[in-house]
Amino acid sequence: MKAPNIRMGGLLAAPAVLYMVMFFVVPSLILFVYSFWTAASYRIMPDFVFSNYLNSLMSPLFWTVTINAILIGLVTASITLVLAIPVGYYLVYVSRSQVILYLILITWFSSYLVRIYAWRTLLGTSGVLNTILIQAGIVDTPVGVFLFSRFAVAITLIHIYLPFCILLVVSSLSEIKKDLVDAARDLGASPLGAFFRVIAPNAANGLVGAFMLTFVMVAGDYVTPQMLGGSSGQTTGLLIADQFRKTGNWPLGAAQAFLMFLVSIVIYLSVIGLGRATGLIVKRRPSKRAGV
Amino acid sequence: MTIRPPVIEITAAQKMFGSFQALSDINLSIEQGEIVTLLGPSGCGKTTLMRLLAGFETVTAGTIRIDGRDCAGQPPERRPVNMVFQRYALFPHLDVFENVAFGLKVKGTPKTEIRERVQRMLHIVQLDSFANRYINELSGGQSQRVALARALVNGPKVLLLDEPLAALDLKIRQHMLVEMKRIHAETGATFVYVTHDQDEAMILSDRVVLMEKGRIVQVDRPETMYAVPKSLFAAKFLGETNLFEAAMASDDASGMTAVTGSGLRLRSSIVPAGELRGKVIVSIRPESFRFNRDNDTTQSATGKVEDVIFIGSRSFYTICLADGVRVRVQVQRGTRTSLPKPGERTEIFWDSDNVVILPQS
Repeated sequence: MKAPNIRMGGLLAAPAVLYMVMFFVVPSLILFVYSFWTAASYRIMPDFVFSNYLNSLMSPLFWTVTINAILIGLVTASITLVLAIPVGYYLVYVSRSQVILYLILITWFSSYLVRIYAWRTLLGTSGVLNTILIQAGIVDTPVGVFLFSRFAVAITLIHIYLPFCILLVVSSLSEIKKDLVDAARDLGASPLGAFFRVIAPNAANGLVGAFMLTFVMVAGDYVTPQMLGGSSGQTTGLLIADQFRKTGNWPLGAAQAFLMFLVSIVIYLSVIGLGRATGLIVKRRPSKRAGV
Repeated sequence: MTIRPPVIEITAAQKMFGSFQALSDINLSIEQGEIVTLLGPSGCGKTTLMRLLAGFETVTAGTIRIDGRDCAGQPPERRPVNMVFQRYALFPHLDVFENVAFGLKVKGTPKTEIRERVQRMLHIVQLDSFANRYINELSGGQSQRVALARALVNGPKVLLLDEPLAALDLKIRQHMLVEMKRIHAETGATFVYVTHDQDEAMILSDRVVLMEKGRIVQVDRPETMYAVPKSLFAAKFLGETNLFEAAMASDDASGMTAVTGSGLRLRSSIVPAGELRGKVIVSIRPESFRFNRDNDTTQSATGKVEDVIFIGSRSFYTICLADGVRVRVQVQRGTRTSLPKPGERTEIFWDSDNVVILPQS
């Protein structure tokens, strides 16, 4: 009975797997090989050195921008998830409104760059925020700190990635039946208690996935920090992009890309560890009767 | 003897969903320790009534008192009731023990007490050795027991059961009904049981609450409701019956005789619930007919045997009366009378205490 299923599964997955192997796995491996090569005057040479990794790790600039990227990523992804969960909860358990879902998707129809410029206008010294503050008499002169700050970067990134995060939350909550919430309430849990005791543990994989995907996209986004972050806008993404575009040091860029990859894994493991420690992620014991 | 207040008292309750009237004029009181079933076809409002008791819905008008207290505005977590859900709604991330312990843990019960109470409850539902199983490792019947234990361990004043056996197959369902009665006897809790299955209702209940289109149409002991249905709906919904269109006999002042179109007089010794006049429906259960005369109150008619269906312990005869009306007659196996064969003419007999005269609508 099982064999045809496996063959069928393989057949259906083959195009996607093939595509990913050709355009993701192979290039990643090439990049990984590059990360051990050396570069001199815009030429890269085959080699096997660890200097790209060591130099990056010993460079204060690398640490500054990486910590910056991680901070922006963690803060933004956390706020985005916290904002996305109530919306997801509403869409799954309260009103299965397709209209609201499409309204959320519509925000994606506008260009990414246009939205960044829109925030520049809103937060700038002659922007809406400053105008309101001056007219309300709260400040006398325009405040410059809104724009070109981590605040500006975070607010823009949340704006851009929130719809995406909501979709991920909706899909992870969809698998959990409303009955479970009712049962938890019936057994004495408050609405919030039902969320933390029943929904969160059962949706843990999906919610961690939503957080991590948002984190990876936000931490890797180097356009928004560059355009809105000012001096705080240097992130690893930008640093890596520069190695490829400006300095032509592909091996160094490759090594830094893999270091960022490692950082993401460390953060993923930390999130899982934190979830387990707080009881929001429940690890199941291995089943006694596997396959039943 | 002390008079205890009813554990549930529903007064003039109404529920609207938008402009749809889901429940109207519900009055019901349930005594401590009773098993009461809310019986009716789908869409009759029985589940809504249960969700009102659980606190998942709120009444549009009227009051619900549980254990003497008006529970208006009380969320589910503050009500002294627990529910067994139709699809069990067990927590997949917890094992059997943790599922049953959930309610006690939420209330901050000391660990040793939780252990003790959960183990005792698992013993009652006969799942002692399943404490460490996960939910997806259980059969339907076992899941059902966990759901029962998870609710009952909290010592609810009332246990609400929402079609708990609907997802099980027949054999297990019959077994679980017996189990349910035993568990009820052992825990002494009040059970309010929602079902659309008349057999479940009759097997389990002390009283049956029959519902139709958002209203309670009759509340009675199962035997009474079966023997003396107060409406055509009740007669048809519970068990099988023969229905005759008839008119009240003008020469009978007591209002206990109806005459069919072909002149068959059907006399009833059951005092009707309300006044009967004009056109009526007469209900006589298949098992109320016999092929032999026993006593003076007996009434009779003649007809031809059209068809005999044998199903083990009993047989069903279809008798075509003179006017073409067909009557179903049920005969228990082992009846010591000579039984007619298909095609033969025969006389059938019945007593007036098995004849129920009902208003037409």
